[in-house]
Amino acid sequence: MAQGEELRRKIKEVMVEELMLDFDAAEIADETAIFGAGGLGLDSVDALQLVVAIEKHFGLKIADAEKAKGVLQSVETIAKAIEAKG
Amino acid sequence: MLGAFAAMGGGTQPCLAPWLGSGKTSRVRSILITGANGGLGLGIGRYFLEKDPEAKVWLGVRANRTNAQALVGEFPDRCALVDLEVTSKESWETAVTTITGVDGRLDVLVNNAGLHRDHLLATMPDEAWSSVIAANLDAVFLGCRAVIRPMMANRFGRIINIASLSAILPPLGQTNYAAAKAGVVALTQTLAKEVARSGITVNALLPGYIATEALAHMDEEAAKRAKAGIPMRRFGTPSEVASAVLFLACHDAAYVTGSALKIDGGIF
Repeated sequence: MAQGEELRRKIKEVMVEELMLDFDAAEIADETAIFGAGGLGLDSVDALQLVVAIEKHFGLKIADAEKAKGVLQSVETIAKAIEAKG
Repeated sequence: MLGAFAAMGGGTQPCLAPWLGSGKTSRVRSILITGANGGLGLGIGRYFLEKDPEAKVWLGVRANRTNAQALVGEFPDRCALVDLEVTSKESWETAVTTITGVDGRLDVLVNNAGLHRDHLLATMPDEAWSSVIAANLDAVFLGCRAVIRPMMANRFGRIINIASLSAILPPLGQTNYAAAKAGVVALTQTLAKEVARSGITVNALLPGYIATEALAHMDEEAAKRAKAGIPMRRFGTPSEVASAVLFLACHDAAYVTGSALKIDGGIF
């Protein structure tokens, strides 16, 4: 499995575990919207837990709400932010 | 769990890590108590230390720390002081960083610090209002905010806010204190919803008359009148509040959140 795919798989696993989601990580597509009715349907409470989980598991600090909006759109945007951090 | 509490009541057997319960793995637990130089804070700290050999207790103190230092002297390996000005955001950040740096975690926060400056509202100085709101309500907000992220990262946390019976049965002269404590109850219930999915519980205790230095100023006649208004006809003890704190801190209290528990000898 390519490094990028492995990262995305890990992000999905973290999301399912840390947010106690009631579906399998494999069911989440890279581009699925995290928030809103058309996507995973997560809310602002989940967002804070996700921010903490991303820092804990991937070392990416999301310091403010503006940055969070950009990063927390999908697994893909989270992965890109982690990859950009290096 | 029942066995653990039976041991507490018996007083002769050690209570082995009552909060472990539910087959949880034994780990040293890190507890921060604010206002820990006062009678209630000290009582809560002592209760944790005596009832649970796994407890690591941090006593949040300001300049006045003689009593807290004495408790550290009794339990030097499991109890320490941490400088904490509860109305200061920076002080909270420093204290939490210190604790998580040493213990790698912060499991339990007991927001106990507080003060009251009673006046009739019509003659209440601005400072009496603002200082009481700051010490009793702002401090709880700042404390909760400071510990939420470390607790979320561990997916475990217990926040116990010491409010007061005044929150629901306010006496004359305590518009400031009663408003602050009612605010603490509302904050507790709101925050409980916000962090429920993160393994964090948030509860409030509403003590009535508890025999601490706060009642020491009361003369004999006033004390007699106060006791006459309590169905149990006596003041509570710090350990009677501490036992409720310990219960709320345990794993087996995982489904108790957003509650406001009166501890008052039956006052309604």
